[in-house]
Amino acid sequence: MALPLDFSAVVSAARSSLVAVFAKRYGAGAGILWSADGLVLTNRHVLGQHTPKVLLMDERQFEAEVIATDEEVDLALLRIEAQDLPAASIGDSTQLRVGELVFALGHPWGQRNAASFGIVSQLGNAKTQGRRGLIPIIQTDARLAPGNSGGPLLNAAGEVVGVNTMIVGGDQGLAIPSAVVLDFLAYVHAPVMSD
Amino acid sequence: MPKKPALQHLSSALADAVQAAGASVVTVDARPRYPASGVVTAPGFVLTASHAVQEDDIKVTLPDGEELSAELLGRDPHSDLALLKLSTAKGAAAQTNEDPQVGQLALALGRPTSEGMQASLGIISAVGGPLRSHHGGLLERYLRTDAIPYPGFSGGPLVDGEGRVLGINTSGLGMGASLTIPAKLAWKIAAAIQEHGGVKRGYLGVRSQLVELSEENSKALKREQASGLLVMTVEKESPSAAGGLMVGDIIVGFAGQPVAEHDELLLQLNGGVVGKAVDMEVLRGGKPQLVKVTIGEQEEVHQGHGRQRGRRFSHRGWRR
Repeated sequence: MALPLDFSAVVSAARSSLVAVFAKRYGAGAGILWSADGLVLTNRHVLGQHTPKVLLMDERQFEAEVIATDEEVDLALLRIEAQDLPAASIGDSTQLRVGELVFALGHPWGQRNAASFGIVSQLGNAKTQGRRGLIPIIQTDARLAPGNSGGPLLNAAGEVVGVNTMIVGGDQGLAIPSAVVLDFLAYVHAPVMSD
Repeated sequence: MPKKPALQHLSSALADAVQAAGASVVTVDARPRYPASGVVTAPGFVLTASHAVQEDDIKVTLPDGEELSAELLGRDPHSDLALLKLSTAKGAAAQTNEDPQVGQLALALGRPTSEGMQASLGIISAVGGPLRSHHGGLLERYLRTDAIPYPGFSGGPLVDGEGRVLGINTSGLGMGASLTIPAKLAWKIAAAIQEHGGVKRGYLGVRSQLVELSEENSKALKREQASGLLVMTVEKESPSAAGGLMVGDIIVGFAGQPVAEHDELLLQLNGGVVGKAVDMEVLRGGKPQLVKVTIGEQEEVHQGHGRQRGRRFSHRGWRR
């Protein structure tokens, strides 16, 4: 008997907007195709001494331009010269509830395009050093590892509700909510997607 | 495509379960560093983890943020449970599920901070018991889950997919691992604490083994009973020795109730029989017979916490 609840449909649909970001000598972070015309979102701490290279799911590789970074919320916006990209569909993190199913996509320990699942464990706040002072944060029990940073946290509809950012105490994953990402994009006057 | 809506249905059902159960999950602040959680068993009464209650000044914060003072009604070191009484009869009583199944979805919940509910997802991994805990305690029954026990989850509930309490989580019993005291047992312990200030556990002084009963045995008993407890040893000067229980007896009843399993005897012994002369029904030479045993009291286990705890751990060498 087939399990009526198969997670693969959600994961495979969303995975096309997952990228790998290489900017340091070792290792890679993850990133999200934010727009069809080349905007890529990732964590600030994924960037390093090198010009970031973005590797798409279809194995195409691009040098990326860093458009904006924000240390306070650990976000970075990159641009690659490409069109008609499979942009992620963005969800509303303010509608999240504790207990909801979530999926984390990324490259944990270098394993490309891997998925893990869990639930929203807590919707808390984190102190920041900057203009915001306090930002909402999503805590999840989905397993995260180095290489998940900058990758999407998806809800059960396959929408990006967060950016996986940190692991605390080995089993607590933290993600920056999509609402904070939108605030960051508005603040840096990022070119807004035209629909 | 039916898959996606089904998944979203599960997702919101899990969030609903957290929300429903969360109405009965409170913050228990009674230890120096990090607060723990608790579950409202009846308005004004909160079940929590005994090891998390280390101070006389106990503060309980309800889901709506109201802070109440509470007093400790009693503890049961065997199960690491403690019952608190709130200064006013507030709080919504939790629903329970007393039929845990291995493999069923389970959410571990906690409310150690003012930032709202915390949850982790897993399944019931095992239903076990009885378990001898590391300092001589005896736990009749327990659950294990693979849901992550976050800091401050001790005293909080493990709930099913509808938000009903399967048990109370605690990290204070196993060797650092988290255990769940099943709801049926936990609520019984809460009632015993409310009534007597604690659970008096009876002591017999026998070791026994589960044996099948023959058809002749059943006939002699005049009832259908599949098993009994064969007495293997009788401790000297124990209540059972004084009462005349003998090696080779098969214990089949206790105070008028049939005993077919160890758990049933243990539950009877924990059911407020200390000091009472109880008729124990045994099969001796195939014939039913009543033996009157005055039940003793099990020596209290020592519950360590705070500074005591560190010493105990290092003494046993579990943590370096």
